[in-house]
Amino acid sequence: MADYDLTSRIAPHFDRHLVFPLLEFLQERELYANDEILKAKIQLLSHTNMVDYAMDIHKALYHTEDVPQAMVDRRVEVVARLKSLEESAAPLISFLQDANLVQELRPDRQYNIQMLQDRFQIGADQIEALYQYAKFQFECGNYSGAADYLYQYRALCTNSERSLSALWGKLAAEILMQNWDIALEELNRLKEIIDSKSFSSPLNHLQNRIWLMHWSLFIFFNHENGRNSIIDLFFQDRYLNAIQTNAPHLLRYVATAVIVNKRRRNMLKELVKVIQQEQQCYKDPITELIESLYVNYDFDGAQKKLKECEQVILNDPFLGKRVEDSNFTTVPLRDEFLENARLFIFETYCRIHRCIDISVLAEKLNLNMTHDEALVWITNLIRNSKLEAKIDAVSGTVTMPVVHQNVHEQIIEAMKNLNMRTYLLAKNITEPAQAAQASR
Amino acid sequence: MASRFWTQGGDSDTEEEEEENSEYDGSDAEQPAGDNSGAAAGSRYLRGQASDSDDSDGQHRVVKSARDKRFDEMAATVDQMKNAMKINDWVSLQESFEKINKQLEKVVRVTESVKVPNLYIKALVMLEDFLAQALANKDAKKKMSSSNAKALNSMKQKLKKNNKQYEEIIAKYREMPESEDDGTADEDEESDSEVEEDPSKIVMSDEENEDDDDDDEDGHDEATEGDGVWERKMSKKDKLMDKQFMKDPSEITWDIVNQKLKEIVAARGKKGTGRVEQVEQLTFLTRVAKTPAQKLEILFSVISSQFDINPSLLGHMPINVWKKCVGNMLLALDILEQYPNIVVDDTVEPEENETQKGADHNGTIRVWGNLVAFLDRLDSEFFKSLQCIDPYTREYVERLRDEPLFFVIAQNVQDYLERIGDFKASSKVALRRLELIYYKPQEVYDAMRKLAEQTGTEDGLGNGDESEKNLSMEENRGPPVFVSIPELVPRKPTFSESSRALVDALVSLIYSYGDERTKARAMLCDIYHHAIFDEFSIARDLLLMSHLQDGIQLMDISSQILFNRVMAQLGLCAFRAGLIQEAHGCLFELYQGGRVKELLAQGFSQNRYHEKTPEQEKAERRRQMPYHMHINLELLEATHLISAMLLEVPNMAATAYDPKRKPISKTFRRLLEVSERQTFMGPPESVRDHVMAATRALSKGDYQKAFDVISSLEIWKLLRNCDSILQMVKSKIKEEALRTYLFAFASCYDSLSLEQLTSMFDLSKAHAHSIVSKMMVMEELQASWDQPTKCLVFHNLEQTRLQSLLFQMADKLVILAENNERAFEVRTGGGLEGLPPKRREGQDYTAYGANRWQDNSASGVSQGRQGSGYGGRLGYNGRTGGSAQAGAGSRGAGGHYGSMGRTSYRATAMRASQVEGFAGMVNLSRAGRI
Repeated sequence: MADYDLTSRIAPHFDRHLVFPLLEFLQERELYANDEILKAKIQLLSHTNMVDYAMDIHKALYHTEDVPQAMVDRRVEVVARLKSLEESAAPLISFLQDANLVQELRPDRQYNIQMLQDRFQIGADQIEALYQYAKFQFECGNYSGAADYLYQYRALCTNSERSLSALWGKLAAEILMQNWDIALEELNRLKEIIDSKSFSSPLNHLQNRIWLMHWSLFIFFNHENGRNSIIDLFFQDRYLNAIQTNAPHLLRYVATAVIVNKRRRNMLKELVKVIQQEQQCYKDPITELIESLYVNYDFDGAQKKLKECEQVILNDPFLGKRVEDSNFTTVPLRDEFLENARLFIFETYCRIHRCIDISVLAEKLNLNMTHDEALVWITNLIRNSKLEAKIDAVSGTVTMPVVHQNVHEQIIEAMKNLNMRTYLLAKNITEPAQAAQASR
Repeated sequence: MASRFWTQGGDSDTEEEEEENSEYDGSDAEQPAGDNSGAAAGSRYLRGQASDSDDSDGQHRVVKSARDKRFDEMAATVDQMKNAMKINDWVSLQESFEKINKQLEKVVRVTESVKVPNLYIKALVMLEDFLAQALANKDAKKKMSSSNAKALNSMKQKLKKNNKQYEEIIAKYREMPESEDDGTADEDEESDSEVEEDPSKIVMSDEENEDDDDDDEDGHDEATEGDGVWERKMSKKDKLMDKQFMKDPSEITWDIVNQKLKEIVAARGKKGTGRVEQVEQLTFLTRVAKTPAQKLEILFSVISSQFDINPSLLGHMPINVWKKCVGNMLLALDILEQYPNIVVDDTVEPEENETQKGADHNGTIRVWGNLVAFLDRLDSEFFKSLQCIDPYTREYVERLRDEPLFFVIAQNVQDYLERIGDFKASSKVALRRLELIYYKPQEVYDAMRKLAEQTGTEDGLGNGDESEKNLSMEENRGPPVFVSIPELVPRKPTFSESSRALVDALVSLIYSYGDERTKARAMLCDIYHHAIFDEFSIARDLLLMSHLQDGIQLMDISSQILFNRVMAQLGLCAFRAGLIQEAHGCLFELYQGGRVKELLAQGFSQNRYHEKTPEQEKAERRRQMPYHMHINLELLEATHLISAMLLEVPNMAATAYDPKRKPISKTFRRLLEVSERQTFMGPPESVRDHVMAATRALSKGDYQKAFDVISSLEIWKLLRNCDSILQMVKSKIKEEALRTYLFAFASCYDSLSLEQLTSMFDLSKAHAHSIVSKMMVMEELQASWDQPTKCLVFHNLEQTRLQSLLFQMADKLVILAENNERAFEVRTGGGLEGLPPKRREGQDYTAYGANRWQDNSASGVSQGRQGSGYGGRLGYNGRTGGSAQAGAGSRGAGGHYGSMGRTSYRATAMRASQVEGFAGMVNLSRAGRI
């Protein structure tokens, strides 16, 4: 079932630390051999400073108590570096820890720097050291510390490049601490900077957008309002282009978000277009579901795909998030997805049919229920006024009445705003003339 | 007798012999007009000279030159005679005859020979023949003017008298003109390809050079003697060269060679300098060059003078010269390979004596030259030769076989440039290579690869042609080459297994180092190549991401042609992949103006209204594609028309009574109208007829007949997997037939079962269901399924006449209101404030569009797709908001769309009026949607 696993495709767009949750998820799902994942973890850690953790994993993996010399050496090195960084950043940190002193900082950055320089002999070197120290903290896995320092660094920093990378660091730290609200704020800030900043090369710009989108997946599928935001973000032209150019696999998340989000149906048309364009590059059951439903009108195909979708969602680290509810776990997104997808299928099916056999309908909708249950389901829909239909209980069918707009209504509709337009036009023409006359 | 270098090879072995063997000379002296014997005669004379007055160099010189002069004069007179014959001018013929007789005396005196020169005999024979002919033709004789007739008569007598003296020789000549004619034949050949040389020039330089020679008196006798042996059969410069190399090699100094080089180079381009001769001189110098650097310097001069041989812009360089040039390039590369400290540079003027530094010199030696320029020139000459040669001849094929030869050079130059780290230049070379292979499908590529390998094994050299043989022959002859260079660079091109790999390698190099134009062209080639290999989506993405269609209007014409070719190929590719909409989008612009041939540079199109000036015509001729690069126009036309048919027929059926809807392909509509106007319908002949016949069948829903007509086209054989493509076409035709049928006859049905539909159009149930469902969803068809009975139930919405008239009126009112608003906008230059939302939106988009495009250019790749997704919208905005913008004269949208329009390159098209500009936008919006 690892067919549709995207981890290897999305991992390059993440920070090392952000890949951890993904690996944890994979380990839990047991899609791959445990050893493989552990090895991947060690590899991942080899460039971070979380040496202790790497050692633990190593022990677990090889069932030994020995650790390779390289790791031990690295640990010593890391500790030494931590010391030196701590020292160099000490003056500024001590300043920042004093709440009274921090009060004196003002929104004016230049003033702050000047003041620090004059009163505390804290210059550019110390500020730089703060950044390095924060980065180091992050590398060590101390995300909350890193987030704090980076926040303060941003207040003092003058270099826009540095400020940007500090922001990225802050975002990563917040994500890892699962502070979704703050992370969302940081994300929006970052997005603004990326959109307004001029990058050295278009490719660079593109890369930044793609990173942003990948990182945002963490937030959007965890934050309560994330499902709206993801559509807002991903459907912006630039971001949609970026997806199409370099990261078509993100279409899975876009498609899921659109299906799940009832209020954003209007995006569907655009989504279908994009999916159709990219079908050469990327394909998974979720996009195929949409394709067979809205391009080929192949309901049997859609039904098959729907079954596969369930597995895909369960195995996706972002979509398959579990919620422990007292005794049993559920995957809220899966249920929502299935429900909505069914509605989609049903809706489209009804649109082109005048009369449907209920048992066929139940089968098409992939509902494992009897005729009666399907009847109830449909009745509910009709009652909630989502569907204009009548059930013919004798023949066991649902009939949809055909409604056509009255010809007269159509004509009135067509000419409705002509009056207003002409009036405005006349006003616009006569007004300057009158004004001219008046002035004369 | 001009230079005789053609026979040098043969003569070289006898040189020693002749020197010692005087009897041999004597016996040969009987026929001084012959080639060898001519030399011998000269030598005998000169030998006498030498022994008489070994110190009188000047005299020696003069005599030599005088002798040649006489021959030249004589040849000139013969030419005059020929001219006179052509126009039947006996008066001047008579004069020439007298002149030649006088000259004969001089020649005989100079050569001290009893034998009359061959040239003279030939002239006599010619005259005799012509005279006989003129006398036989009584009518013509009567028509002659009196003076002419008189001259003819006197000529008759004189010639008779004169010819008596040479009866024997003439008879002999007539018997076997071939054997006797060697020398002259050679000469003729030369004079075909080269400009007449000026002997005095050479004499001058010889004399100058004599000063150098004066120093070595001791070796002089021998040297002059050697000269004597040589001079008759060798050109002047060879004479000199020989004299120089006859000396002990150690005595030739760098200075001598350098001076000589400068002298020759200075003569370049001057009037009267023989171009071929110059090449020969320089070639010789390369062999006596003292240092590798000098050799290289001379080689460069050789190459550039070889390029000079063909002065015309239209004609191409003679093929043998081209090949020699390739050989020289290889030699130059060998030198560069062996002596890495030699640097070729054309930016800095090297120091005076830079090339004096020997092979053992440490540090860099700068030599002036530009390998890339040479290579460019070679390539364009190759291209030109292919343009000129008739593609249906064997010659063309032969010429095509030289392609690997060029490839080898290009490869070596590129390797060299990469080695010295000049990636910018190497990207240019890579582009040249790319342009040789981008249009080749895998089969052709394989064939070329095989050819290259074959010839490679034959003689260990990529070509095995004349030039190399000549080269080796020259190498064998005479002096040892001072600076011998082993063949270091590979003489065989290496091709990777698949052309894709090669293209990828070249393209990635170009993308990282090339300049804008190189990159754009490489991108186009890349797209073209992808399209050939049926990778439509990749090709499309590349095209859209590169934004080439925006700027192509501003690029040079040859790139525009390339762009058009790419679009054509992309259309074909889309068609093969069954993407009808896309194929039509790519192709219809090409066919819009009816100038496909011109747009693809595959021929000329006649324009009734616009006469081309000769300059335009010439320029057009120069940019023609060689035949082997052509895209099959019939196939292209068939593709275009079939895709237009598949789109247009259902569209016509759907909108038969709806004047509002626009035709998808105006070109197709026009053709259809023309064919419908015909009184009698013959069986289809051309591609167009076939498609029209198919269209008629299809519009009745008769898919089988439509397909039969289409599949009877010949062109399908040209396609690689024609079966599967025909299958695709068949299924598309079925689909469209179904759609057309439903559109046309929906009003006649109340219900229609799915089974009936499937049996009518031979479609699977699922397929038919899917097509019909789609039509319902798109609201093209007012119907719905009845699931239990599997029936299609139509909801007929008949409008009364009054109602439909009302609709029309409503539409017209909307148009009126829009027109009013537009007029107001044009007048005021600004939009209306309180416009209804729809209109305002349009304007916003325009502004937004302009911004977005600017943004695009700033962020290139990332925004690649916008053009694709929103092309349609952009086009629309351009139309509505465009007038306002144009009024304000803003460049933003209007200018942009203009550039996006058709990629025609004629100046007339550039002057497209604003209306046309807008039309262009709309067009492109379609093309952009692919």
